[in-house]
Amino acid sequence: MKRLNCLKLFFTGVLLCGLFSCQNSRKGSAEVDFPREKTLYLAGFQWGDPNTFNPLSDWPAFPVGGNFNLMYEPLMVYNTLTGEMEPLLASSYEKTDDVISVMMDPRAKWSDGKMVTASDVKFTYEIGKQYPSAPTSFVWDYVATVTVDTVTDTTEEGRSIEKVNFIINKEKRNNPLVVMDFLQAVRIVPKHYFTSLLDSLNGEFSELQKLKIDKDPVVSGPYNLLTYSGEKIVLKRRNDYWGNAALYGNRLPKPEYVIHPIYKSNDAFSISLQQGNLDVSSTFIPRIWMKQKEGVSTWYKKEPYFVPAAITMLVVNTTRYPLSDSKFRQAMAAAVSYKDIRELAFSQYSPPLQPGLVMPFGVEEKYFAVDDVQKYGITYDIEKAKKLLAESGVKSVFGSDGKLSHMENSKGEKLPTLFIKSPAGWSDWEAMVRIAVQGMREAGIDVREGFLDASLYWQAMPNGDFDLLMHGPSVSVTPSQPWSRFEAVMSSRNWKAVGEKMNENQGRYNNPDSKDYNAAVDSLLRLIPTITDDDQRREAYRALNNIFMQDQPTIPLVYRPEQFYEFSTKKWTNFPTEENPYAPPQCLCFGVGTKSLWEIKSTAEQE
Amino acid sequence: MLKRYPTLRYILTRAGWYLVTFMVAVTINFYLPRLGTSNPVDIIMAKVGAGLDTEAAKEKEEAYLKEFGLVELDKSGEIIRNESGKPVRTPTWKQFRNYVLMVMKGDLGTSFLNYPKKVGDMIKEAVPWTLAIQIPTIVLGWIIGNVLGALAAYRRGVFDKIFMPFSLFISAVPYFAVGMILVYLFAIVWNIFPAVGGYAGGLIPTFSLSFFSSVIYHYVLPFFSVFLILAGGQAIGMRSMCIYELGTDYIKYAKWLGIKENKILFYMFRNAMLPQLTGLALSLGLMVGGALITEMIFSYPGLGMAVLTAIQGNDYPLIQGCTLLITVCVLVANFTVDIMIGFLDPRVRAAYGGK
Repeated sequence: MKRLNCLKLFFTGVLLCGLFSCQNSRKGSAEVDFPREKTLYLAGFQWGDPNTFNPLSDWPAFPVGGNFNLMYEPLMVYNTLTGEMEPLLASSYEKTDDVISVMMDPRAKWSDGKMVTASDVKFTYEIGKQYPSAPTSFVWDYVATVTVDTVTDTTEEGRSIEKVNFIINKEKRNNPLVVMDFLQAVRIVPKHYFTSLLDSLNGEFSELQKLKIDKDPVVSGPYNLLTYSGEKIVLKRRNDYWGNAALYGNRLPKPEYVIHPIYKSNDAFSISLQQGNLDVSSTFIPRIWMKQKEGVSTWYKKEPYFVPAAITMLVVNTTRYPLSDSKFRQAMAAAVSYKDIRELAFSQYSPPLQPGLVMPFGVEEKYFAVDDVQKYGITYDIEKAKKLLAESGVKSVFGSDGKLSHMENSKGEKLPTLFIKSPAGWSDWEAMVRIAVQGMREAGIDVREGFLDASLYWQAMPNGDFDLLMHGPSVSVTPSQPWSRFEAVMSSRNWKAVGEKMNENQGRYNNPDSKDYNAAVDSLLRLIPTITDDDQRREAYRALNNIFMQDQPTIPLVYRPEQFYEFSTKKWTNFPTEENPYAPPQCLCFGVGTKSLWEIKSTAEQE
Repeated sequence: MLKRYPTLRYILTRAGWYLVTFMVAVTINFYLPRLGTSNPVDIIMAKVGAGLDTEAAKEKEEAYLKEFGLVELDKSGEIIRNESGKPVRTPTWKQFRNYVLMVMKGDLGTSFLNYPKKVGDMIKEAVPWTLAIQIPTIVLGWIIGNVLGALAAYRRGVFDKIFMPFSLFISAVPYFAVGMILVYLFAIVWNIFPAVGGYAGGLIPTFSLSFFSSVIYHYVLPFFSVFLILAGGQAIGMRSMCIYELGTDYIKYAKWLGIKENKILFYMFRNAMLPQLTGLALSLGLMVGGALITEMIFSYPGLGMAVLTAIQGNDYPLIQGCTLLITVCVLVANFTVDIMIGFLDPRVRAAYGGK
């Protein structure tokens, strides 16, 4: 019995220890390494162990990859609200048919004190020409050469400014729109730092890509990497950031630390936001209005809560009968209740869907033509779906119980059931697929859910190994929208047969070798980036969107935001919102959204 | 010759069998993930290739196939292609040979999905957390469950009548449900324990008092989420074992002889414990993978999530590294228990000693 008593004693000890420490950490908030009132917690960009912080590797961890401007910076930033380019490493740009030029900001500096110069820009781009595995290798289909001029500044006495010219590659793509994308997407890296590293590795670029660059990296941005683990990434403010003086009137960003905790389940984001342990999150949290009383907020206070920026759609494999028939595809489009998808599957996080690929709001509103959409667009209408299905020659066969059994072609042969592939466990997409299936079956179209492992999904997509597939193409909001959305859905420029990989138009719409190839689609896609006249551009988009609506190569389901932008006002306030739109709804580290870091206010400071 | 040392003979025989099991397990662990049709580079390309057009994506894909040793290379390091220009894949037996050679050198390879991170580093960072949450929970749950179970069997009465249904109930609840209920009650409703993480967000791991107290504070809920269920399950098993032992002749005989109660309890406990010991070995062996649910609910640091994403993403080197670790754990735990049983159970010695 004595032993048992010992155990009891030990057990109580553990409990007491826990309780004691709980009290302790409640009182002793001063003991933490990062004071709460000086730290901004934001999450949702890094999942799993941070792999590397090397800007020349393919998928570095937060905040090096993606459109994050905290450590490495692009030349310009694109304001997704206004559609304007704003200055960063370059103060302005000029655009002609042949060349896009930027004026470097002579005040920009690296964290080691050296100047950010045009040679850094040239290096960042040209490393992609020299080494095909570099992240900038693909720019050379769009850019022919990068040249540098030195001009004298007229406003400030005789100061010389570097001008970087991106000569458009007319032979290959001839696409100034994508070059504009590069200005805000390609992050400039320090030439002096990487050339000396490359020299020490005898010019082995693949070895350079294996370096983690996680110890005192040379950056130009307002924060730098302090420490990281599998649990979080910690960034510390650089008080000597060049932009504080040059762009923000000698002010410092408010948070001294930016911490990105790495959570393992979606619930953790929601709980942490409500408890005030997380300030900004970019994850899908259903029914966000239930969390408003806990201080969780979004861009709009009411629905749709988020700013729509991209379209989630069903990609249709147009090489398989009956999906190859545009009447059949239209019948499917008419059978989906978009209202149910928006309200039941997507928590109303989207304005009502309009037919076509042009969104009727934001920067692309000017390309939206109401008349066309009313004339050609397909909306939810089960009776119309049945009519279109009959026109396509496909007959639905119903069983004795009144339920759909299968479909037959005009010769009376049985057609196989069609499946919608979607990654298993993506619950919002699963709900959308179920609603679509329900509607289509009601209209007599034999479709079923095909949920599968995500790895098989990613494999099926480029190979065209599907009947229908859930997909959200071209999610980032860049200067090239909505062209890049049309390109991702309709282009047959890189046509490959089913079974070989195709990175856009995975539904194999508009085969260039077939007799009904519509050459207008590809020529419009080639033409739009080069058009400079606004009216002409509007007409071209109209023509393209009309073809889309008549051919229905994919079935748009719902609008989605570029990123879910949720914030808690428990520890920080003055986040950008609809009423106070000083920056776009981007999680304070992304694109123009980064400037919010200078404007938010700590609640501790206000008291 | 070893007949004079039955215990040693027993241990050596077991060791031989475990070596065979180990080699079979490693081979199966290697081949199983490769049986499916999916290809790890496709998942990487889904991440990397989004903005690229088809040709650029193809080049990148081949660079990765080459880097990961999944395609055949000629002497100059160029990819060997077949007639249609597609790279020739390295046969699986060749990959297996390379893998075994690397492991013998102590290199577990580079993770595909977390490229260029080393599998060895990932395991080294995460395993201490997994062990720290799992070993105390399993061992304490086992000890306390068994003691309570034995007591319930011996004492019967009111204690048993309350304790037994409670254990049955708690052991039937899945881990995740207990975890979620604990989070809901203690973290959300009453807000006395943290819901997320292994230590406070504002800390970095150091050898300091504030860090350790934060770790203990964050330890409470994950600990109890596993401990309660484990102890309940063990108690039920131990109770029925003990009731069985209590009905055996030797206990009756001991009672008639008038041997002291504590002594009888000890005999009973010792005999009833043998099967429970095997159970302990199994749960200790499976602990590396078993922490997954605890990790997900509490976003607790550890290896479980890495194993899950590795399997979902066909990250062969990481799957192999983790399954190797699990295999070693299971075998070592079982071997230890086998040895202990060899010492505890005279029947085993007798069987190997011959007559």
